[in-house]
Amino acid sequence: MSEEAAAICISVRNAGKRYDALEVFAGIDLEIGQRQIVALVGPSGCGKTTLLRSIDGLIPLSAGVIAIDGAPVTEPRTGVAMVFQHFGLFPWKTVYDNVAYGLRLAGASRRELGEKVPYFVNLVGLRGFEAAYPYQISGGMQQRCGLARALATEPSVMLMDEPFAAVDAQTREILQFELLRIWDMRPMTMVFVTHSIEEAVLMGDRVVVLKGRPSTVFETVAVDLPRPRNRQTLGLARFNELREHVWSTLMDEARRAEFSVSG
Amino acid sequence: MSVRPRSPRALGWLITGLGLAAGAALWEIVGRETGAAFMAPLSETLLRLAELAHTGELWQALASSLALFGAGFALSVAVGVPLGLLLARMRLLRIALESYIAILNATPIAALIPFILSLMGFGFAPKVLVVFLFAVFPILYNTVEGARSIRPELIEVARSFRSTERALWRDVLLPFVLPFALTGIRQAIGRALVGMIAAEFFLSASGLGMMLQSASQSFDTATIFAAILLVTLLGVALMELGGALERRYAAWRNIRT
Repeated sequence: MSEEAAAICISVRNAGKRYDALEVFAGIDLEIGQRQIVALVGPSGCGKTTLLRSIDGLIPLSAGVIAIDGAPVTEPRTGVAMVFQHFGLFPWKTVYDNVAYGLRLAGASRRELGEKVPYFVNLVGLRGFEAAYPYQISGGMQQRCGLARALATEPSVMLMDEPFAAVDAQTREILQFELLRIWDMRPMTMVFVTHSIEEAVLMGDRVVVLKGRPSTVFETVAVDLPRPRNRQTLGLARFNELREHVWSTLMDEARRAEFSVSG
Repeated sequence: MSVRPRSPRALGWLITGLGLAAGAALWEIVGRETGAAFMAPLSETLLRLAELAHTGELWQALASSLALFGAGFALSVAVGVPLGLLLARMRLLRIALESYIAILNATPIAALIPFILSLMGFGFAPKVLVVFLFAVFPILYNTVEGARSIRPELIEVARSFRSTERALWRDVLLPFVLPFALTGIRQAIGRALVGMIAAEFFLSASGLGMMLQSASQSFDTATIFAAILLVTLLGVALMELGGALERRYAAWRNIRT
């Protein structure tokens, strides 16, 4: 199914990042087609979140180039939106104002806000909570709000930084299927960083495994599971095969990391 | 005769009311038992308060004191908040000024009054300076603390959404610092009141300070207590106002998000 996505949206070439003596990743090549979802997995400290921030233009690379739609990324750009592990909601803004944040910065008119904000609030299932402050709603609802804030700018690229890592397991499952449902309605290019192998296989058209020191692309696993994906996907034999495969790929490294002192 | 408060809150009010009534009664009794030169009873104090209000003396003193308080307090907010933000964002400025700020903060400001007197004389300005010096430090310190504890991930969110520097201040930095500044402002209210009375005592006498001073010279305890009561009520009212502002704008700060 990746053949149909001929147009390359995100291209990462020979990307490297070092902090002084610490080389986090090096020589990473990655091409992501339009409306593809690529899941990035790897042991802690492998730099997958750093790579994601570089794609967003928040952190400059030490080597190599990242381009989106052919243009090199030097700073955050329009059409790209990020969803954060820590939600990143402004505690002094209501749900409505948090969702409206990106639109307002982009100079949306009052009319535009009046149409889009309620639409996306509704899309993530937060209708009725527009006037609530983040501390008044659960973690899962907070991340729904973070999701709506990113979606509201109608990006063609979504960057997901372990978006469901900070919510409980049950909420996490619900949010995964919500996100798949939204993606089916509005397919977009997505880079999905996660610690969860299951989540990576469920979301991705490909799972990219980062490994090594400095880490690099160790393996790319094509996920040939049909879409739309939903709860039934978890029951497929192929799903389990792929999950086992990615798991065994990561396992050696994980075991080594667990016993290494340097972290 | 049984009193059945409907809620713990009502019970709290009842106990507070009883406590105040007991204090008032005690004041009345002690005032009556001792001579008027020692302590005027509550009834006489309230009577004097009404008298002073009637002659207009009270309003004059109150207006004069409030003008001084307002000017000094406004100045301390106008200087304390922006300077606090600057100190937090500019490391070199902070290093250059922080020892002076620490020294001034540790100095009992009342000890500086003779110096201010010899420097600036008896006008309105030196009195404003005294109120300002009393009030500015809590505002400054709380603002610096707020600006330095801004969560970097929120700044990252703003950058990710392509915020301009101006929008970053408007949407993130100022709203984050506001509750801290308000805590400082609430603390500063009490200190500014002390500064106000001190300035009215030791520099050119005016307002409620002068009323207190001249009454004490003539052992007019009714007027003394009337003025004290007034200053106390003023303080309570202003601190309530500060607390209300803080609760309104800082609700999010006390809850982990």
